[in-house]
Amino acid sequence: MRRGLIAAAIGLIASAMVVTAAVAKTSEPVGLAEADCTSSTLGFMGPLTGPAGFLGQEQLSWLRFGVQKWNTANGTKFKVAPGDTQLKAPVALTVGRKFAADDDIWAIIGVSESQGNVVTGNLFEKNDLAMISGSATRTSLTTPGHPYLTFFRVVPNDSIQGPTVVKYVSRILKAKNVVVIDSQDDYSVPLAQGVTRGLRARGAKVSRESVSADDTDFSSIVANVASNVTVVVFATQVASAANTLSNQLREQGKKAIVFGTDGAYSPAEFKPKSGYVSVFAPDLHFDPAARKIVREYNTYSKKRPFGSFGPATYMAGQVAMTAVTKACADGEATRVEITKAVRGTNIPSILGGNIQFDAKGDVRGGDFIIYKVTNGKYSPVG
Amino acid sequence: MDWDKIVQLLVNGVTLGSVYALVALGFSMVYGILKLLNLAHGDVLMVGAFIGWGILGWLGGAQDPSVAVWLLLVLMVLAAMAGCGVLGVAIERFAYRPLRRAPRIAPLISALGVSFFIQNTVLLLYGANFRSYDTFDLVDVEVGIHRGPLNIWVIRLVVIAAALVMMVALWLLVTRTKLGKAMRATAFDREAAAMMGIDVDRVIVKTFFIGSALAGAAGVLVGLVFGQINHFMGFNYGLKGFTAAVVGGIGSIPGAMFGGLFIGIADAFSVGYIEDFTRGRLGSAFSDLVVFAILVLFMLLRPQGIFGKPEVKKV
Repeated sequence: MRRGLIAAAIGLIASAMVVTAAVAKTSEPVGLAEADCTSSTLGFMGPLTGPAGFLGQEQLSWLRFGVQKWNTANGTKFKVAPGDTQLKAPVALTVGRKFAADDDIWAIIGVSESQGNVVTGNLFEKNDLAMISGSATRTSLTTPGHPYLTFFRVVPNDSIQGPTVVKYVSRILKAKNVVVIDSQDDYSVPLAQGVTRGLRARGAKVSRESVSADDTDFSSIVANVASNVTVVVFATQVASAANTLSNQLREQGKKAIVFGTDGAYSPAEFKPKSGYVSVFAPDLHFDPAARKIVREYNTYSKKRPFGSFGPATYMAGQVAMTAVTKACADGEATRVEITKAVRGTNIPSILGGNIQFDAKGDVRGGDFIIYKVTNGKYSPVG
Repeated sequence: MDWDKIVQLLVNGVTLGSVYALVALGFSMVYGILKLLNLAHGDVLMVGAFIGWGILGWLGGAQDPSVAVWLLLVLMVLAAMAGCGVLGVAIERFAYRPLRRAPRIAPLISALGVSFFIQNTVLLLYGANFRSYDTFDLVDVEVGIHRGPLNIWVIRLVVIAAALVMMVALWLLVTRTKLGKAMRATAFDREAAAMMGIDVDRVIVKTFFIGSALAGAAGVLVGLVFGQINHFMGFNYGLKGFTAAVVGGIGSIPGAMFGGLFIGIADAFSVGYIEDFTRGRLGSAFSDLVVFAILVLFMLLRPQGIFGKPEVKKV
């Protein structure tokens, strides 16, 4: 009996070793696995639900529009797999693991939010999966000390946004007393710190506040805003929060206006009586050269409203599809080849100029644009 | 002393406190009668907020309402109260009544399950997107009292007044009506009340209906004054409402009212002053530390709360 058991155990172990060896022989690292050039999937990662869900939906809609347009023009079969990060880093990591393990995913469009890139950057790098974000602006995603070698972005970063905001607030608005608020996440904290340092260096008196991304009431924060404060810079990814803050400032008779950072850019959600917002890409509604694509998108989406987030993600999709097509020139491609092709991108952009990446994965050129908001109406001012 | 700031924080605190008080009342009423912590109570508030939002959309939305604003507000509150009242009765019937003779941990776990069930049902039905009441479009924020340091948006006044009216109505119901007498008798001794001819089951159902209706109203008031609602908002309001009930004395109606206002004001003032008191070490984001430290202190030093009476056990 005992001998029989031992024999059975040895048999089981031997079988397991044979199976393991066979699997090891046939499987390759994911990045080297050959992808099927006739059927390509782009994984989209962004907040499709939650407080910034409307932005992620806008991005996904523009990405799908771009993919449909590309497929029609080139006879290809690109598909989009949506992944909802809910604006939460742990959720982004779960979605990222799923995409990284899926051989059908050839490139990631996103992650939309910086905190999502922080947690998935190494994962995608290990899996040789190119990630092309249309909205993540945290500076350290591409600084030499914190590189994710497969991360690219088609929009400028916060090392440009911070000084742009500082310059506008101090030079144009001539604000001497400012409150800077962050939303306790990987995007807003460094941006708010940068803006605070910049404004103080220019002689402004700056107070700092911090709120949670889920907060919907800022009335007690507003009570802290002194009557001589003229500008409240709010680094947020939730445009409706910026709107509430703006209204609660008015409710309490404060003369300060809200200056939102790029996450607040949304004519549908952030519509203060008076305010400003900075954003990484031009709003195509104001660009006469973009009339054709705006018309096409309006037909595609049945006039779904959009701001700057969608078109930038459209361009991220164009970068990915161009790279896949290039890598597939010989009929087959790997993730490594696709990432290499992304690095060598040089395509015209609907946002103006060409998209090219520097060695760190940042887009070359690119500026933040300031919009003035009056009674909910946006107009570019700088 | 910055009196402008103090006055404003007081206004904010009373607004928040009014909402917490309504939630705390539901906790207290159910606990008083069943000795049960209805952990799903915050989620009932969330359902109320969604019902109000649905009615607002159905009647044209904030930008173009098809009825007068006052009528719209009344309809939103009444619909939420009715819907949540029915939800409360259903929760009692299916999740708590079968466990009435079970050990006390069983209904507590059932309550947790109900909480997750409600949250996920709303997530399934409406998605995780934040929904906006757009109250700022309904009534401009400059409409209200704006005199010196006092700035109160009319919607805040509506919230405070509505909460006050409901609290007074509940107080009259409990102290001046037959149902109130039956509720008090059931809370005092359920078995003795049954022997005196009181239909205890009916009293419990009515208690759940009233408590849940108050939570539904609170949900609409939250949506009106802060604008945004979502499927997990009930957790925070439930927790703060529970804290208010404990501080006031769980089972005591005046205690719940007082506890709500106390916690609301503490919440607002901790946001306003935590940075000054900690010399910049802690920011306003840590204000919940103060609120829950109050809860812990009460649990340690006066577990029966301010208005509660220590439990006397016959040995």
